[in-house]
Amino acid sequence: MAQAAENPASPGSSTPPAGGPASTRRASLPSRKVLLERVLSLREGSIIIVTLLVAIYFSLDTSTFLTVSSFKTLLPFFAPFAILAAGEVFVMILGEIDLSIGATYLLAPLIYYKLAVAGLPPVLSVVLALVCCMVVGLFNGFLTAIVGISSFVTTLGMLFTLEGLVLIISHGQPVSLPDAAVSTSTVQVPHFINGAHITLTETVTHVSTFAKVLGEGTYSELVWALVIVAVGQLVLTFSRWGLYTVAVGSNKLAAAEAGVRVRLVMIRNFILCATAGGFVGILEAVRASQLEPDVAGANELLLKGIAAAVIGGTLLAGGSGTVVGALVGALFLGILNDGLILKGVNADYQLFYLGLAIIVALAINVYVQRVRRGSHIG
Amino acid sequence: MGPVSAPDDVLRVEHIAKRFGPVTALRDVNLHLRKGEVLGLLGDNGAGKSTLIKIICGFQKQDSGKMFLHGEPFAPRSVDDARAKGIDTVYQDLALIDELSVYHNLALRREKVHRPIPFLANRQMKQDARRALDEIGINIPRIDVSVARLSGGQRQAIAVARTVNSDADIILLDEPLAAMGAKEGAQILDLVARLKEEGKVSIIMILHNYVHVLEACDRVSMIQDGVIALDKPTAETSVEELTDIVVNEYRRAREETHNAEMAAE
Repeated sequence: MAQAAENPASPGSSTPPAGGPASTRRASLPSRKVLLERVLSLREGSIIIVTLLVAIYFSLDTSTFLTVSSFKTLLPFFAPFAILAAGEVFVMILGEIDLSIGATYLLAPLIYYKLAVAGLPPVLSVVLALVCCMVVGLFNGFLTAIVGISSFVTTLGMLFTLEGLVLIISHGQPVSLPDAAVSTSTVQVPHFINGAHITLTETVTHVSTFAKVLGEGTYSELVWALVIVAVGQLVLTFSRWGLYTVAVGSNKLAAAEAGVRVRLVMIRNFILCATAGGFVGILEAVRASQLEPDVAGANELLLKGIAAAVIGGTLLAGGSGTVVGALVGALFLGILNDGLILKGVNADYQLFYLGLAIIVALAINVYVQRVRRGSHIG
Repeated sequence: MGPVSAPDDVLRVEHIAKRFGPVTALRDVNLHLRKGEVLGLLGDNGAGKSTLIKIICGFQKQDSGKMFLHGEPFAPRSVDDARAKGIDTVYQDLALIDELSVYHNLALRREKVHRPIPFLANRQMKQDARRALDEIGINIPRIDVSVARLSGGQRQAIAVARTVNSDADIILLDEPLAAMGAKEGAQILDLVARLKEEGKVSIIMILHNYVHVLEACDRVSMIQDGVIALDKPTAETSVEELTDIVVNEYRRAREETHNAEMAAE
């Protein structure tokens, strides 16, 4: 009798959680299988495995893949895409796309160059160039979120317009960047040889700290990529910004009804993405010590950035995505690129293999995700 | 006519009109809500009930007409604004985000964050969510799964819990029982009865089942043809009367269409 009286008082807590028996069963499995299951249960789990497999293949197949110098040549094929993809993830989770990063990639270093040549300090020039990219992102966001044009069209228009503008301003000519250039100077170095003092003239090369930090240092881009990806992932998973991004991407109407300011969320993600594009542009220009208004190259870079995000598990339809996945996606592209070169694959075949590999990687990705979902429902 | 508005009205709606292109959703709606009262809002499908709710909660703006909250002019700029003034809503479509977990949905726009770095205080939000769900007595076994995995009734319970758990003193419920089984529906009606007993909140509730209306509400207002056609305490009306009004209106409208067609021929 006492039990019957007690029961209705706590209807919520009286039933044991349904996950109980299942989780104890899982705990009794061998630990290796648990680890594999855990990796696969991550959204970026499948691409991590695919990337590892590709890396192992190249390590076994070529003697030069697993070397420091190979890693260094890999970096430029990886770090810039990781940053581009990190920005793109924020827009793609919204169910939108930003093609204009190809243009801010060219525009930002050009603005930086013009301002630096005009006599502004380099750091200020970089900041102002990035502010211009933010304005581009603001415009993309405005046209998409408020005017209501599809982001594919908006940002495609922006891409062509700004790339055209870059060609007009630069006359299509490459120029060398003033602060990034390696300067040489001669110094008189005293030597003490065989009891005699002599002075010899030696040439010393200088790379400014500014240039080293912004792309020219060997690991500069890698460090930037890791920092940006880490911060991006933290923001996405652990902040209101990320929560609202997923909410808007999953269901715009419901998000608006719940009080999320949908337009603001969209606009600031477009700003973020365009700025990431511009920042990569500056890093790459400083790394090369020159500014090359190469529209075709920028477009290829843009598409590979999007590819990295998609390979990393971000849905083009929106609602879900990870920045760490985008980093792994970029790593996959980089390893493939580097590996194919080391294998001595004919340059004409490289793009062909790259394209096929992207399709295969995504197919595996989708398959693994489907298996994962199925196991969860059951 | 039913009771006229009194000084203790927490909400008054005067001459509200709203059009969507050629469609007139609301023509001239006058409505009032007393403190601690449960008002049942009735009307046929497409009568404009949800539109009225969305105007009161700040999601849409009326074309004309005024609203008063506790006697003060009330023109919400946004859902957030209305919420800050104590009005919270359970929408017909529930406004849940499939990709987010149960506890994130419950906390949406009221997230708890750490200081000084404003990261989400997930553990605290989980505890709050558990407490809120226990309070309304609906069993959701796991609150860290996405709401997409839940049944219609469970989803509805989460939406109701989110609103009831807010600090609102006016709660708008747009068909809170639509996807629920008999037991879950009874739990929600019990919850409404308990809120009424506590007397802190005033409730406007859209319902389709007249039995539920008579059971749970103090008063009914029926929207018909863009105006309030009936406003009565539930004690003075019956399922038969409410049904008759709707059926008569349907017959009248059909006849009108018929006559118009005859005239056109």
